Amino acid sequence: MLDALLWLPLAGLFGLALLPRESDRGTRVLTFAVMSLQLVLAGWLFVKFDGALPGLQFATRLPWIRAWGVEYHVGLDGFNVALVALTAFLGPLVVVGAAPAVRHDSKLFHATLLFMQFAMLGTLLAQDLFVFYVFWEAMLIPMFLIIGIWGGERRIYATLKFVLYTAFGSIVMLAALIYLVYSLPQSGAAPSFAFEYLYRHPPPVGAQRWLFAAFAVSFAIKVPIVPLHTWLPDAHVEAPTAGSVILAGVLLKMGTYGFMKLGIPLFPAAAWYFRPAIMALAVISLLYGACLALVQTDIKKIIAYSSISHLGYVMLGLASLSLLGIQGAMVQMVSHGLISGGLFLMIGMIYARCHTRALSDYGGLARLMPRYSVYFMILTLAAIGLPTTSGFTGEFLVLMGAFDAAWPWFQQGHVAPLVLSASAVLGVVLGAWYMLWFVERYLFGPPKVPHQPLTDLGRREQWVLAAIVAAVFAIGLYPQPLLGRTELAARQYQATLRSGWAPPSGAAQEAPR
Amino acid sequence: MSWQAVVTAMLPEHWLLGGIVALLLLEIANPRARGAFAFALIATGAAALSALWLHASGYANTPFPGQYAVGPTACLAKFLLLAFAVPVLLLSREEFGESRYYALILSSLYGACLLVSAASFITLFLGLEILSLPVYALVLIGSERPEGAEAALKYLVLGGTATATFLVGTSLLYGATGTLDIEAIGKALPTATSPAPTGVALIVAALFLKAAIVPMHTWAPDAYEAASVPVTAYMAVIVKAAVLLAALQLFGSTAIPAQASALVALLPLASMVWGNIAAIGQQSFQRMIAYSSIAHAGYLFFAFLGAAPDRSRTILFYLAAYGSMTLLAFTALPGGGEAAAQDRLHSFRGLFHRRPLAALAVAAAMFSLAGLPPLPGFIAKFLIFRNVVAAGHTAWAVAGLFASYLGLYLYLRVIQIMFMQSPDAAIAPSRARRLAWVAAAICLLPAVAIAIVPGWLLDRI
Repeated sequence: MLDALLWLPLAGLFGLALLPRESDRGTRVLTFAVMSLQLVLAGWLFVKFDGALPGLQFATRLPWIRAWGVEYHVGLDGFNVALVALTAFLGPLVVVGAAPAVRHDSKLFHATLLFMQFAMLGTLLAQDLFVFYVFWEAMLIPMFLIIGIWGGERRIYATLKFVLYTAFGSIVMLAALIYLVYSLPQSGAAPSFAFEYLYRHPPPVGAQRWLFAAFAVSFAIKVPIVPLHTWLPDAHVEAPTAGSVILAGVLLKMGTYGFMKLGIPLFPAAAWYFRPAIMALAVISLLYGACLALVQTDIKKIIAYSSISHLGYVMLGLASLSLLGIQGAMVQMVSHGLISGGLFLMIGMIYARCHTRALSDYGGLARLMPRYSVYFMILTLAAIGLPTTSGFTGEFLVLMGAFDAAWPWFQQGHVAPLVLSASAVLGVVLGAWYMLWFVERYLFGPPKVPHQPLTDLGRREQWVLAAIVAAVFAIGLYPQPLLGRTELAARQYQATLRSGWAPPSGAAQEAPR
Repeated sequence: MSWQAVVTAMLPEHWLLGGIVALLLLEIANPRARGAFAFALIATGAAALSALWLHASGYANTPFPGQYAVGPTACLAKFLLLAFAVPVLLLSREEFGESRYYALILSSLYGACLLVSAASFITLFLGLEILSLPVYALVLIGSERPEGAEAALKYLVLGGTATATFLVGTSLLYGATGTLDIEAIGKALPTATSPAPTGVALIVAALFLKAAIVPMHTWAPDAYEAASVPVTAYMAVIVKAAVLLAALQLFGSTAIPAQASALVALLPLASMVWGNIAAIGQQSFQRMIAYSSIAHAGYLFFAFLGAAPDRSRTILFYLAAYGSMTLLAFTALPGGGEAAAQDRLHSFRGLFHRRPLAALAVAAAMFSLAGLPPLPGFIAKFLIFRNVVAAGHTAWAVAGLFASYLGLYLYLRVIQIMFMQSPDAAIAPSRARRLAWVAAAICLLPAVAIAIVPGWLLDRI
């Protein structure tokens, strides 16, 4: 089943190749059908996934390159199950909501969407480091094309910046990966790229720091964590709507997923060592992203910078070491995927009507496009973290976790963690500020638009947004299906990170929580 | 020496020789005859298949003991060279009808086959010379550009320098060890006295010159740019591969001492860096490929840092990936019109809108040469760096990986020109070269195999 889910987009890609070049409609229908089928499969897998079982489910393991110890090994576990569902969920929405704005080369566009889907699912499902890397890098190619071909005016600059930035991280990771597998293994052991093997055989502590740093650079660029974030605003602004949705919805989560699945469990001692730095950078990203969002005049850039801020919560949760924080990070990943994906879709919709993204060109949309404004308002409130939405669940759990982690430190006389956690709360305030101020200028006030008359949302657009809003509320009101499926993974992750804590010799000190 | 052994072991060479003789007779009988292309194609194809057959049957023999020996690896290398020659010949159909062109290509291939099976320095030298001499002429044949003569002369002079350097090195080695047998010299080297290291250094320098390693690369961009499309493809893929295989023949099983490894690695690393950087600004596609091939020669020589038993496998695998993808890019070049104008990268603008399949082929080739997965170039590059790390040269591997990162931009730039710019109205729409699609199909075959079942291939090399 899982293999069917993974390979379906590639099969769709071949199907697409057989269609005639002019058949725009056929292309769209086929892509949508493939994506929907994929959503059904992913939904079925999500329902069938048993959160009480440890380890992989629906796994497939086949030898691929025997001489190198590489296996085609995919499986579903608590770490990736939610993100796989998110990826499959956004797939058809992107096709319906964003693709019609693509005016030329529609066949190539849909082909790259399918390839992108294949690469993203592969990255999430891979349980073998080599396979993971192949998919990880393969994600670059379609994104390069999507931004570069269908993007805005400065698309070539943006796409090259995106690719060169990300590829730099990948090269660093590749060097670390080769070193990890081929230079460190114990004598006699055949090299293996399997995650489970690597988890059980962590490298020596000295090497761990270098290796973790290398992996972390790659993941931090993807997240992005300040100061490695400068590619993101350009890429987001120049990307076509579909590109922005995929980028914000799934691609950024690959970075945090990488930390959660690889960076920290593979090198627990180094992760422990760098933990204060990660927390600090997470809070800096959170605040800095929010501050930058506050001063933007381009509506797409506001959402782009808010992504940096929201992913700061995820990193904070992952580094917090408390179960609440880790689970909050997992929820926040899904939640941000839905909310920012939805917001980018909505900005794409207004851009398709007015062809401008300058905030000063808009005002009072609530009167001109009431339905649009309702959806926009809901998503905005979700982004702020209003209770009953998914944003609340994620942010609240993360902040709880951060305080939970900071308190024992504080009792031992360390003030810094508590200050960090308190600053993260400040991020919530800033988040409310920039989003509400943005909405105030955008939706309310005297009506001002570059084009009159303005049509409100069509039925197709409404369906797309309704699906997203429904998911946002579902997670906000009843997060249990999500939390239940990820809890075991979160506990496992927590235990791994804690195992990296080597108590000072002789001291019978309790490990900080 | 039995005649059966001579017939069987040299079967690929015999096919080529037969082809050359037939082509020359054809030229004498009727200078305007049409069949030259078919003759050359049949001879090369048959030679490639016989090499594959010899490899598959595990044939190993020494028809001329101490001079010429074949084994499965040598046959596989021959197959690779000859198989790459087939797309080159297919591409030649566009420009060349005369038999002398095909006779030169086949002669050069003969030399490549000879050096792959060389057991002594004499045979190796003969092979290298037979390989190179026709190429000097090929650069000039069919070149419509005024720089052609200058480029060919430059190539000839520097090639001659390489020959002389190689010979001096060989004579020093002979003086130190008293033999010309490659294996015997390899055994004697660790204990050999003073002129021997100088001899080795000179031979390495000669090979670097032939493979266009920085700083001995200056002939390559000029020659590649001046030559016609198929000849450039031939130089970039087959000549480069043959030189690397010659190096493999000489140093394939030698343990490189620790203090020498820095010297061996430094210039290839410089090649990667400079090739990748200098390629960025080029306006001519063939010149860009020249710099790219300079960088790739650097990666290939890095394979010598790896452990000895893996080297031949690594180099053959890398050559298969590099060669097939470089040739694939050449198949997409437009035919007809003025060669110099068609070669400009500028004429690629918006290629996707005019000839989508050609643009996709070039894109696949570029992503692969840049080393992005899931394309074959990634697996090949991974193989090289993995072996370098496993042999303990982590710092060199890291440096090499960063050098390969520098190469990303130049390949992305080509894709950007093809896909992200609109066609230049001033340039007449180009058409595909004749038979290019057959050549492209042949190139895609190994590429797909490497990308999908690399393990299966690795087990068989």
